[in-house]
Amino acid sequence: MSRHYDVIVIGTGPAGLSAATLLTKMGLNVLALDEQQRPGGQIYRNVEGAGEARLNLFGPDYSVGLELVNEFRAANVNYEGGASVWQVEADGRICYSKDGKSSRISANYIIAATGAMERPVPIEGWTLPGVMGAGAANNLAKEAGLTPKGKVVLAGSGPLLLLEASILLKKGVEIAAILETTDLIPPADSVTKLPQALMGWKLLYKGTTMLWELQKAGIPHYRGVRNIRALGADALSGVEATVKGETLNFDADLLLLHFGVIPNTHIFRQAGCQMVWDEKLRYWYPSCDSWGRTNFEKIFAAGDGCRVHGAVAARHKGTLAALEIACCLGMIPESERDDLAEPVLKALRQDNLPRPFIDAMYAPKPSHFTFENETVLCRCENVTVGDVRKVLDEGVRELNEVKIITRCGMGPCQGRMCGPALAEIVGEYLSLEPDQAGLLVVRPPLKPIPLSEVAAMDLGDGGTDGGNWLLDKK
Amino acid sequence: MLKHSTTSTAEFKQDQAPAETVSVLLDGEKVDLPKGISIAAGLLSIGEIISRISPSAHKPRSPHCLMGVCYECLMEIDGVERQACMTDPEEGMVINRHLDSKGEDA
Ligand SMILES: Cc1cc2nc3c(=O)[nH]c(=O)nc-3n(C[C@H](O)[C@H](O)[C@H](O)COP(=O)(O)OP(=O)(O)OC[C@H]3O[C@@H](n4cnc5c(N)ncnc54)[C@H](O)[C@@H]3O)c2cc1C
Ligand code: FES
Repeated sequence: MSRHYDVIVIGTGPAGLSAATLLTKMGLNVLALDEQQRPGGQIYRNVEGAGEARLNLFGPDYSVGLELVNEFRAANVNYEGGASVWQVEADGRICYSKDGKSSRISANYIIAATGAMERPVPIEGWTLPGVMGAGAANNLAKEAGLTPKGKVVLAGSGPLLLLEASILLKKGVEIAAILETTDLIPPADSVTKLPQALMGWKLLYKGTTMLWELQKAGIPHYRGVRNIRALGADALSGVEATVKGETLNFDADLLLLHFGVIPNTHIFRQAGCQMVWDEKLRYWYPSCDSWGRTNFEKIFAAGDGCRVHGAVAARHKGTLAALEIACCLGMIPESERDDLAEPVLKALRQDNLPRPFIDAMYAPKPSHFTFENETVLCRCENVTVGDVRKVLDEGVRELNEVKIITRCGMGPCQGRMCGPALAEIVGEYLSLEPDQAGLLVVRPPLKPIPLSEVAAMDLGDGGTDGGNWLLDKK
Repeated sequence: MLKHSTTSTAEFKQDQAPAETVSVLLDGEKVDLPKGISIAAGLLSIGEIISRISPSAHKPRSPHCLMGVCYECLMEIDGVERQACMTDPEEGMVINRHLDSKGEDA
């Protein structure tokens, strides 16, 4: 039996939570799905189960999440956790897997609020046990109250790297070093953006306090770091890097990598949404209007999935998508939509004030990445940077061709972990911008699921397109 | 504690002892995992940092992202390859990491 909803919301981070709550309150039949077992998304992960100590540790920015989740619960939204969406179609149908069973359902509108992920940057040794994303340590702390034991090195770039360092510091973890690839001297354009950023001073204040605390604690903190390597035979034992031509060495039990955050776009790409390349921030995002409508009438994007603007902006973007959909479904007239949207747009603009400064400070530069031939690029299929350069030497010129020949991007993660760097490597080789080198095609199922589960799926009356629905229609 | 994790020194400790645990069969041995957190987090909390042997590189891996992106936490859970960072443990679950294999597709 196929089910139909007014709106399906994919993802229950701040964007999905605010959208689903508002639409349900307006009387619409909404289903919110998230592959995590508990609502909250990345930033408010497991906020309901946090307890006082964890709420204190992560501060008011985290506790806000509790209000959002409580409102979501109070509004009684149809919600399924542990539900992985593995196919989205432009006509409003989706397939998802939960508890080993897949279902195909439909809606008049879909809001994809799938958030962001850390930019994966391959370094020598990053497949060794003991090398993790800094976001992973953050997630473990929020979800499970886990703290690393032993010596920790943090490496990469961006405010979240420092945020993670300051949380570890508060928890009494031994931080052996912070290795930032960010340049020693801030880029000139960041300075011109500072006055505007000062109008959104709260965030900057938070950042400066964080830096000050790290400095006070005497943690070795280097900028302009290059050639970061994870050392070890079967597991991480140390970290090496160069600063101004000098080689540094640290013993380490855990290396946390973070190179900024990029939109999680697999759903949009699989659905066939028009994608745009952001030259400055070096990531792809789905093209959409100010309500979040993509080039498909029925598919909306909200939150960090359509450009990374942070949790507060994500919540506002969720509200805007909900207002437009409510208007399209005849729940509110255009005038009311506009009245309700006005303060949200204003808050969004206010929240965005410091963004250009932060983006200019931490924008990734190709010169920050050093991809070496021996480094494993594709973790799933064990393809090295050298393997890719070899097929480029042989005349291959496009990302998807590289994928077919080398298997880079063909494993279970579907290029999530290698795609961005693959584009940089191919682009660098061909002296092109990565967008001109192509974008890896994402095929259903978005997430590997057993064929037996697909076979057992009830297509219901949604299955008008016969047996070829699993095929990529592009 | 199982022996497999001795190759890595990275360890995590849980800030508070778990209020409730569930018993699962991990690689043939009975272990207790905290209830209400993912299997991946639960395993890390008991010192089990190795999540699988990479079927292509034939080397041990640990969970990398803890948010469903990297697929390094794939393990056989009740007979199906699933992401341990997106799955909660349940009483009596059978989890196999096939750590003694050479990483051939199990
Ligand atoms: C690892 C990580 C840690 C972060 N920590 C912080 C922090 O401490 N502080 C801070 O200010 N910002 C943090 N950020 C940035 C922060 O995530 C965002 O600003 C904010 O969470 C964006 O909200 P969102 O609603 O757009 O998406 P998210 O909060 O990311 O929520 C997206 C949700 O979609 C779900 N999802 C994705 N794909 C699927 C699918 N196929 N099927 C079903 N569900 C799916 C995910 O499970 C997730 O719950 C972090 C980002 C990352 C990647
Ligand atoms: S640890 Fe990355 S998918 Fe589970």
